[in-house]
Amino acid sequence: MSVIQQGVSIVQRALRAVGSHDGWLAGLLLMAGWLALPSLGIAAEGTTAGPTEYRDIPYVGSRNLVWIVAQLHLLLAGFVLGVPMFAWLCEVIAWRGGEKRYDKLAKEFTKLLTSAYSTTALFGGILLFLLVAFYPKLMNYLTDVFFPSFLLYCFLFLLETATLYLYWYGWDAMQDGRKKTLHVFLGFLLNFFALFIMIIPNAWATFQSSPVVIADGTAFERAWAATWNPTWWPINIHRLIANVVLGGYICGAYAGVRYLSVKSPEEREHYDWMGYVGNFIGVFGLLALPFAGYWLMREIYQYNQQMGITLMGGFLSWLFILQAMLIGVLFLGSNYYFWLGITYRIPGSEGKYRRAMLMMLVSLLLCLAVWMTPHSLVASIEEAQKMGGAHHPLLGVLGVMSAKMTVSNLMILITFMSFVMYWRAGKQDTAGWAKLAKAVMGAVLVLASIAVIVLGVWGYFVPAIVRINYFSTSQVLIVIFVILTITPLTALLLKSAKTTTEMVWGSMPPRAGYSLVLNAIMVILLMTLMGYARSSSRVHWHVYGVMRDTSPYAYSPALGSASFIMAFCTFSFCLIVAFIFWVATMGDKYKAAPGPGKGELPHGIPAMAGGAPEERSQR
Amino acid sequence: MSEVAQLQLIALSIIGIGILILLFIKAVFVRVTGFVAIVLGLFALMSLAVPQLASLPPAEEKIDIANIKTPTDIAAIGQTVFFSKGQCALCHSIGPSESARCPDLKGIGAKLSKDFLFESLTDPQAFVYKDYRHGGVPKDYPATMPAINKDPIGLSKNEILAIIAFLQQMSGEPISVSTSELDIPGKAPSAPVKAAQAALVADAHTN
Repeated sequence: MSVIQQGVSIVQRALRAVGSHDGWLAGLLLMAGWLALPSLGIAAEGTTAGPTEYRDIPYVGSRNLVWIVAQLHLLLAGFVLGVPMFAWLCEVIAWRGGEKRYDKLAKEFTKLLTSAYSTTALFGGILLFLLVAFYPKLMNYLTDVFFPSFLLYCFLFLLETATLYLYWYGWDAMQDGRKKTLHVFLGFLLNFFALFIMIIPNAWATFQSSPVVIADGTAFERAWAATWNPTWWPINIHRLIANVVLGGYICGAYAGVRYLSVKSPEEREHYDWMGYVGNFIGVFGLLALPFAGYWLMREIYQYNQQMGITLMGGFLSWLFILQAMLIGVLFLGSNYYFWLGITYRIPGSEGKYRRAMLMMLVSLLLCLAVWMTPHSLVASIEEAQKMGGAHHPLLGVLGVMSAKMTVSNLMILITFMSFVMYWRAGKQDTAGWAKLAKAVMGAVLVLASIAVIVLGVWGYFVPAIVRINYFSTSQVLIVIFVILTITPLTALLLKSAKTTTEMVWGSMPPRAGYSLVLNAIMVILLMTLMGYARSSSRVHWHVYGVMRDTSPYAYSPALGSASFIMAFCTFSFCLIVAFIFWVATMGDKYKAAPGPGKGELPHGIPAMAGGAPEERSQR
Repeated sequence: MSEVAQLQLIALSIIGIGILILLFIKAVFVRVTGFVAIVLGLFALMSLAVPQLASLPPAEEKIDIANIKTPTDIAAIGQTVFFSKGQCALCHSIGPSESARCPDLKGIGAKLSKDFLFESLTDPQAFVYKDYRHGGVPKDYPATMPAINKDPIGLSKNEILAIIAFLQQMSGEPISVSTSELDIPGKAPSAPVKAAQAALVADAHTN
């Protein structure tokens, strides 16, 4: 920082010196001084004795710049890894089920991949340059530890790129028979390589939080030990599911925006349906995400109690109240979209399900209120005396993990039931065993809810270790049991069910589009929030307990100021994704427009815009 | 105007712009942008409404040996380290707490000897003291005590002795840490405090 001050004072001295001359000269000098500030900042650190440990830039600060670029890269990477999963799933549904619209949807999203992939790589490259420039000591250390995995990462990138080109550019050419099977296999390979592209950098990041350092052994052995650190797999699974959620909700948001802007009934139907698919896939992943998050936190606690407590009970504890708020809004938004679907897409169902929807809404709000209840309140001395301590006599009871785990499991159950309700709406069971099946499903749901609540209340009366190891795990297993029991039973019932009301696509009100956008924003904000949490949980360490952060930025900012960077990253990411969608669909709009220009398409649409396969098929 | 108030003003302005866009602009993309601005502004406001805690790197406790005259002076330094660099209060309570992840430290200085305490802090798994006060099965805690003379906490010998002095003082015990045990900067460190002998451990266990 002193370097920046030094730079500023140089410019000020120069300004005073030329104060008597014309204004233009002062302006020129001021401009030159301002432009030279970064170089002063960067160069000065390098002139000190010994190897350079840190560099900085004025105004923004090296840490903030790395934070923003890393977060954008991570969000783009999540998008780029989530979309192929989403697209491949749709392609497989179309391939096995014969529904062509799923294939069209898969293709529409794969079209985004080439431009999204290059944008992600671009941000990855910028991040790498910034890290090497600003944190040479840390990067040197990480390179020493992970050098073999760097090579593997590069190799995987080559494989992923080649597979992506084959998958996208071969879409139309590989539509029939065995060629389609080959294409589906290419989609699988794309996701397979993408998985490894995700988990290798995860090893670098998780190593910083839970390092495993061995002094002996070959470079490969040291890299492998560092890779297989305690939080590596929990993060891998958590991010894998989160990417599916991100991909689904971004698809939903895109469909929501298009739905709001298109005019023709066909397009409204198409984007309404796309919004439904996106929301469904997002919810599908969302139901599993808290379990993965719970596993990750358990591993963090087992690896290092202090880190766990810093996160959940230390200075980051209020962050989890914000997280609860964002997840709560996401659950509410997803359920609301299901309820809008029941009301507007399935005429006549509103009356049948109105009461259930109201009860679900009230239950969700109550659960959210409990989840957002802080354990310790900020109170004046007088208030604390009245309460009898820092914990409110009633709210203090609701603010503990036993209550929070209970309500989060109940919210998952409610959301799952919203989906089942939507699934069943407009259909009449015809199977002879339908009554029995419905009784079993009802009993499973009621008993499971009671069991979750009983375990939650019981959790207050047992030692924390019993609650964490047995009660919370049992609650999770009960919810998984409900999902695994009711889903196949409902699917079997609906196989023979009679459709009483046909689904009417394109009849949703505009607020449905906005709710899809809201869900996507919540997921992105959650990712930025948890990025801050994971980085801050290392407190003043680059590599926890191994390499201390000795830079002027070895502190974690308070949530208020950090939220502005999170909001900025979220907004920037949305703009980048909007740009990618715009570029990728530019060719479609051009083709759809009547006029002589259509014939010139092969030359007019860049490959990045996703025009190539259609062009080939036209020829 | 405080920094929080300034940030609140910015967040409110962002929300205001979003509302104006929704009220007066017809273009769908711009309207969606306005909606996103409102959501992000509300998020920032919410983040500013919770307590603003920053995490600063721990300040190195300067133990000026020349200014330490009595064991009480050592205990005063120990109290500071206990609640700051040592991070003891992150897990331990002083007084009973059912939700505590780790044992209550009230009266610990009277219950355990200095050597035993030193070993418990630097080699916590050497002898795990089970809590028999409640009767029945000893209470297990989910947390595992880290060796606090190692990173990431990394307390020096002087800081550990100061914490022991604080624990003894808090328990109403005479402080058995003397100023002569402290390492003087620049001088070769004295022999490390001996690990607790088996007899001492057994003695502490049965007390």
